[in-house]
Amino acid sequence: MQKVWKNLTKSKEISILAIIVVLAVCITIVNPNFLTVSNFFDIMRSNSIYGIMALGMLPVLISGGIDLSVSSTITLCAVVMGKFLQANPGSNIVVAILLCMVVGALAGLVNGLLVTKFHIPPIVATLGTQTIVMAAVLFYTNGMWISGMPDWFLSFGDIQFGAIPSAGKVVGMPIQILFLILVGIATWLILKYTLMGRGIYAVGGNVQSATRVGYNVSRVTTFVYIYSGTLAGLAAVTDILIVKQIDPNTFSGCELDVIAIAVLGGASVMGGIGTVFGTFLGIILMAVIKNGLVLVRVSSYWQKVVMGIIILVTISVDVINRRIEKARLVHVDVEE
Amino acid sequence: MDRVFLEISNVSKTFPGVKALDNVRFDIRPGEVHALVGENGAGKSTLIKILSGVQPPDEGAKILIEGKETQFAHPIDAIKKGISVIYQDFALFTNLTVAENIGINETIEQKKKVVSWRAIQKKAKDALDFLNVQIDPNAIVENLSVAKQQMVAIASAVAQDAKMIIMDEPTSALSRGEVERLYEIIDLLKEKNMAIMFVSHKMDELFRVSDRFTVFRDGQYVGTTDADKITEEELIAMMVGRKIEVKRYANLEEKGEVVLRVENLSKKGNFKDISFELHAGEVVGFTGLVGAGRSEVAQAIFGISPADSGVVRVGDEEVHIANPAQALEKGIAYIPESRQTQGLVLPKTIADNITLPLLRTFANKLGIINREKQMSAVDEWIKMLDVRPNDPTMLAMQLSGGNQQKVVLAKWISTKARILIVDEPTNGVDIGAKDEIHKILRQLAKDGTAVMVISSELPEILSVSDRIVVMRRGRITAQMDNDAVTQEAIMQKALV
Repeated sequence: MQKVWKNLTKSKEISILAIIVVLAVCITIVNPNFLTVSNFFDIMRSNSIYGIMALGMLPVLISGGIDLSVSSTITLCAVVMGKFLQANPGSNIVVAILLCMVVGALAGLVNGLLVTKFHIPPIVATLGTQTIVMAAVLFYTNGMWISGMPDWFLSFGDIQFGAIPSAGKVVGMPIQILFLILVGIATWLILKYTLMGRGIYAVGGNVQSATRVGYNVSRVTTFVYIYSGTLAGLAAVTDILIVKQIDPNTFSGCELDVIAIAVLGGASVMGGIGTVFGTFLGIILMAVIKNGLVLVRVSSYWQKVVMGIIILVTISVDVINRRIEKARLVHVDVEE
Repeated sequence: MDRVFLEISNVSKTFPGVKALDNVRFDIRPGEVHALVGENGAGKSTLIKILSGVQPPDEGAKILIEGKETQFAHPIDAIKKGISVIYQDFALFTNLTVAENIGINETIEQKKKVVSWRAIQKKAKDALDFLNVQIDPNAIVENLSVAKQQMVAIASAVAQDAKMIIMDEPTSALSRGEVERLYEIIDLLKEKNMAIMFVSHKMDELFRVSDRFTVFRDGQYVGTTDADKITEEELIAMMVGRKIEVKRYANLEEKGEVVLRVENLSKKGNFKDISFELHAGEVVGFTGLVGAGRSEVAQAIFGISPADSGVVRVGDEEVHIANPAQALEKGIAYIPESRQTQGLVLPKTIADNITLPLLRTFANKLGIINREKQMSAVDEWIKMLDVRPNDPTMLAMQLSGGNQQKVVLAKWISTKARILIVDEPTNGVDIGAKDEIHKILRQLAKDGTAVMVISSELPEILSVSDRIVVMRRGRITAQMDNDAVTQEAIMQKALV
């Protein structure tokens, strides 16, 4: 029994999956509307924005860093795109998406350079850029909503794939979820099959050894911030495709939710550990908590309490496990 | 067999104020285990750093690999030339699989963008098969035992086509059985024509694995000899054989009453059955190898990590010290080894550091500190210990190692502890300051304090101690008065 428990707590993915199943069962018992395809698509669509950003946060966390500036980057990209579409209503979706991703990548590049060239701790560097960019964007927009997106753009957001009968209706998978899945596959491929991806794990696991075996630590570090910024840009597109207008205030503070998803999914804030699969579970868990608790009429304040408790429990189990491991390795060989 | 793989000569390494290596040489042949032997501080680690490309040697060093002169600009250069180091902490990626740790290097070296897991798996399997060890290539390194992690590190060196493996104290974290297994691996590597530089100071294993010994002492080359032409005693004599007369301050007559009595103190995995006494007015030197458990005993007494069993008496009173605050209350002070991280607040002034444990005595009822009182106390200490520069507003981080140590001493001495434990008090301190610190410790003893000095440096132990306690592998192996003791006798107890 002890061994089973140990293995369970060691594989964080399993425990998160278990939490999701338990929550889903409980919520469904109270409100059968929860476990339907249409509801699942619904909640995943609205959480795809956070999910995409969390997949960008994942490599940053694995490398041992943190990116607090995703909230300002997504806001910046959304506003840039809004203004661009207002000025160029005749553009097309490919240009719009690329524009957002390039702006996001540039914001990420600044973070990466601050961390690698000026040796500013990631938490400070990204807090600084977040504050500056957010304030500048709010100053520029005056906090006003931007609307009046072109029709071709808005209709792109309504694309659905397939036709699945659910709860008396026929629903398809929204394009925003396709974005999320594609980003997931891309992130997985990068982390698993490129030398850059393995370098991210190596740098997060042991910087000194990573340098020694010949990884370019600066390049790896810069890459993760660019990647995070790029995905924040894509998340901006995804967001506008859902809400169809831009509120410059809506993402203030969202970086904590994004980090929470990655951490819930098993990424270690100490670096070296984290998977795309786990992050997906984190996204689903976040979505289930948010939506499910609404369906069972739990106050929205309690959602955050539940999130917080789950984060603390999963992380402290992780930290305690690691400390036990460490203690096991350090000892004097006493002659008995 | 006579072909030489690596030959170095004229290798020196100067650090500010210290000559860590002075004109040493070393050579090694394929299929040979050549042990580098010496006390702590002999320069072994410095040579490893040079050979692994972590630090460059001073100008004029000559390094020949297979007859060709070379230089290392980066650790990767040494690896490419066929020199791999098995560090004491193995330097593995503990968050990754065994296979990746062993097999990824080739991908990095060839600057491939895409990783072939099949190639990595194969590389890892080949290396593990080569060593004939059974480790699951898909296991996460973190979950392996220390011995297996070491095998992974060796396999990783093999996978990088190492022609020479440097093993730095490879048995220090292994159990008996695991050590035997390591010997077998070393024999196997020898058979396959690998050159092995073996760094250790444990006599039994040195004679078990080595073909030749090269001895360093105080950064200097002492000699090289075949292993079968020398005895343990002769090797120890080569290691310690200083002809420099050490100043002995010992005074065996004026011993006061017993102030600390330790009986059968044990802590699992740290030390066992430790019993000794400290008298007022004496300095007791604790020596032995690094990792023998000396600091652990001190930390148990001081309450940093209390012992599992045993009795500690301060005076006649049995005490159960659970944390450093209680220890201070009982009159025990402990000055840790790494003064920079544990003993000093580096960005604060000398004055603030010295008076840190005493601030309360300078404060009035409202808790406001009387600056004048504080400064006059500080001046007194600076004068007494001769801290240079004698400016109390200097930041601790601006001082030299020796003067930092004096500030740490002042800080704890000012608490008027009856029992003072100092761990490696002159680590990284230059010769002049060393002698001054020794004098301070003697003076404290003369004033009635019981001083326990932990040191790996035998001259230091012989210089300051009235009595000497030797530890080995978590146990006390000898307690002797410092009158006719020789360095050789102490080393025997510490090593064998």
